[in-house]
Amino acid sequence: MIVDSRAVDRVLAPASAGELAEMMRSETGTIAPVGAGTELSLGNPLEPIDAAIDTRRLDRITEYVPADLTIHVESGVRLGQLAGALAEHGQMLPIDPWNGPEATIGGVVATNAQGPLRAVGTVRDWIIGMQVVDAGGRASKTGGRVVKNVSGYDLAKLYTGSLGSLAVISEISFKLRAAFAATASARLRPGGLAEAADVIREIRSGPLEPVSLVWAGPEDPFVAVRFGEHPRAVEWQLDRLPGEGWERFDAETESAVWDAVRDRYRALAEPVVRVAAPPSEARAVIERFRPESWLVHAANGTILMTAGVDAIARLRERHPTLVERAPREVRLQAGVFGLTGAEYDLMRRVKTAFDPEGRLNPGRHVDGERPA
Amino acid sequence: MKPEVIDKLRDIVGADGATDDAAELLVYECDALTLFKNSPDVVVFPADTEQVAAVVRLANEYGIPFLPRGAGTGLSGGALALEGGIIIELQQLNRILSVDAENRTAVVQPGVVNLHLSQAVAHLGLYYAPDPSSQVACSIGGNVAENAGGPHCLKYGMTTNHVLEVEAVAADGTVVRLGSKTGERIGYDMVGALVGSEGTFAIVTEITVRLLKKPQSVKTLLAAFRSVEDSSRAVSDVIAAGIVPAALEFVDRRTTEAVEASVYAAGYPLDAAASLLIEIDGFEVAVEDTQASIVDVCRRNNAFEVRLARSEAERARLWMGRKGAFGAMGRISPDMITMDAVIPRTRLPEVLTAIERLSEQHAMPVANVFHAGDGNLHPLILYDGRDADQVERIHALGEAIMEVCVGVGGALSGEHGIGVEKKDFMCMIFNDDDLAAMRRAKGVFNPDGLLNPGKVFPSRPSCSEVGPGVTRTAEAARRIDEYVRGAGEARA
Ligand SMILES: Cc1cc2nc3c(=O)[nH]c(=O)nc-3n(C[C@H](O)[C@H](O)[C@H](O)COP(=O)(O)OP(=O)(O)OC[C@H]3O[C@@H](n4cnc5c(N)ncnc54)[C@H](O)[C@@H]3O)c2cc1C
Repeated sequence: MIVDSRAVDRVLAPASAGELAEMMRSETGTIAPVGAGTELSLGNPLEPIDAAIDTRRLDRITEYVPADLTIHVESGVRLGQLAGALAEHGQMLPIDPWNGPEATIGGVVATNAQGPLRAVGTVRDWIIGMQVVDAGGRASKTGGRVVKNVSGYDLAKLYTGSLGSLAVISEISFKLRAAFAATASARLRPGGLAEAADVIREIRSGPLEPVSLVWAGPEDPFVAVRFGEHPRAVEWQLDRLPGEGWERFDAETESAVWDAVRDRYRALAEPVVRVAAPPSEARAVIERFRPESWLVHAANGTILMTAGVDAIARLRERHPTLVERAPREVRLQAGVFGLTGAEYDLMRRVKTAFDPEGRLNPGRHVDGERPA
Repeated sequence: MKPEVIDKLRDIVGADGATDDAAELLVYECDALTLFKNSPDVVVFPADTEQVAAVVRLANEYGIPFLPRGAGTGLSGGALALEGGIIIELQQLNRILSVDAENRTAVVQPGVVNLHLSQAVAHLGLYYAPDPSSQVACSIGGNVAENAGGPHCLKYGMTTNHVLEVEAVAADGTVVRLGSKTGERIGYDMVGALVGSEGTFAIVTEITVRLLKKPQSVKTLLAAFRSVEDSSRAVSDVIAAGIVPAALEFVDRRTTEAVEASVYAAGYPLDAAASLLIEIDGFEVAVEDTQASIVDVCRRNNAFEVRLARSEAERARLWMGRKGAFGAMGRISPDMITMDAVIPRTRLPEVLTAIERLSEQHAMPVANVFHAGDGNLHPLILYDGRDADQVERIHALGEAIMEVCVGVGGALSGEHGIGVEKKDFMCMIFNDDDLAAMRRAKGVFNPDGLLNPGKVFPSRPSCSEVGPGVTRTAEAARRIDEYVRGAGEARA
């Protein structure tokens, strides 16, 4: 198996949380947890790995109580499998990461993967509990099985987005919501940056509450919006989109819009960075950097765009910026996270506290870079 | 405490910025959990982040325990100075620093009162969603520490879903900024770890929160039922219908009696065994429909009255009863303990019956008023603090109630936190390995443990030792089973 261009000879595939813990206990070298392998080059370049833990056999939905709006799943469950089970009961987990239905839920959580539904939140908002196994093979849990819980520290927040650097996730509990009663989408081909930015500002400042709002460019630019709600509320919002020239798509046809958005994400020219700029500043960032390609989560401001090492440094002067998808050299030169000072120090301490010997995905997280 | 420490504290915060006057310290002996008391040696009132950091550094230098305090409305003893030392009172840091209407965010100091923020941004059509029932008094810093919720977190999430960025003074006095203005987490989610850490990780000195647009339309209705079972089934059926109410609150008969006899009288029907206060919000064109579905669900579950608030005044009145319920208990009982636990909402009927049985067994009245939509119970144990025997019995009853909740797969706390109140119950849910992982996180932020000592973790070194709050024993498992099964049978 190849993980972030590292060949790994030994691949362990536990079929239960117990087996996972046992395997981890007998390992003494470095370990890379791996799900479906859709996001393996996220993070700083990996150091040599002795064994990979393939979670795909941890594929059971251990409990689903539709009436409680909760589900408990092993980390190797595929997103598509999960969505299918929920759809049978008219429920959903409102996340739609770029890597699609093949991705394992453990991988999605470990990478904090996002997609167009970014406008309604990220996966962290839906996690109510977690079970993990640390590098020494010690299993532990955090949170619980009910929709609201402040018993003890919320360690699930630390494990979410930790890129497998703190522990291997074995089981996750989610709260759920009812599926959107109706959905519809619309797409606009704006004349220029100003028109796009104005339309987005008007959507954001008015009464509309899109569940997705994406702006892509510069080639073949478009603004895509999706509403998910009571059918009349969806209609009402569509009718109030600002500006002219919106092409409408109903629930049957809207996947064309969002498939195209997904393609656009995949086609973003590397290196791709994730810039945390407030929504009102998206246009300014784009005008200043003129990226070769971009895709903006316009509702909350996250900008995905092409940026080289110099641009990354300049972006970071104003906005926290993550290197999302880039060749090894760029990740090495720029550092994936670009954190500084006390924040960086605290994160280093997190890594040391949870994985004192540095055996889990070594080099991948903040341990792989110097403070910027 | 050495007089030189007080002098040095005064050098930092000014002569008026500290007090060690015994009479003044009385206020700081406890938070709203008045069952546990201990006086700090000194209370300081810093005016800015720098002063907070300087106080923390001084405390470190002398090895003195210290802890932050907001408005002191906490219900788990989080702001209790268990080992004396310095209380750092943050109410002077009470400014809203900026509001960014376009990006819908606000930057506030920790001492800002929760409700004041919503009031300050109301003219922009915005509000701050987390709305603990104590929102007229509690501070946003305290909310961050406890990950506070409220009636509307059913739809809108808890404090943790609304905090984007924080500035904090770490336990060693370092000032650190965590998170980002858009909520995007780059690196570990340190903000996520800090929210809900009960004042044991760091002292939060500035918070960037997300603001929401005020909903176009809000409908509030009250449905009254002759049996608790009917009301519980209505709760489940609302959720099953795919409706996400903005709030779904439960008020039992005992609470209704207290409320209706108090200044919070809201016109709740006195002959109801249980009433549900249901709120929906959203687009004008949709809420009518949703409201009709809810009325329908309630009627099908034998609601004998469904009343819709027809004006803002009527709506406010319905809510006044709910929000004033804790205060109203003073009418029927000299003292009260507000418990907090979460159960899967489908287990409501049997758990409420079990609580009723326990209340009878222990001869202590319990009232129930809580967030039914997410199964977040608040059994209120009514007692007389002057009666030592009653005080003794509270603990046994409290523990028995927690065992029932945990026994059906629930949680120790939905919003009030563990603090000192429930630290010895932690072993009901967590084992030594779970707690070891939590200690690792605490060690990152607060390695020497000087910040807010004695909280969250059980007092005995290991959960495998026998002691209060260990439900893993066969005996306890049997007892829980009995309550729950007994409750089920009683219902049948
Ligand atoms: C009548 C009543 C109703 C209530 N209803 C609700 C409810 O609906 N939902 C709910 O969640 N809670 C509720 N509470 C509990 C309480 O109001 C909340 O826990 C609130 O968040 C506490 O805020 P505070 O400012 O009073 O904090 P305090 O009680 O002063 O402190 C609470 C904890 O926070 C820490 N802390 C305070 N400020 C900071 C800071 N700046 N940085 C780090 N740590 C800090 C303290 O050390 C302590 O551990 C209620 C309480 C009462 C009395």
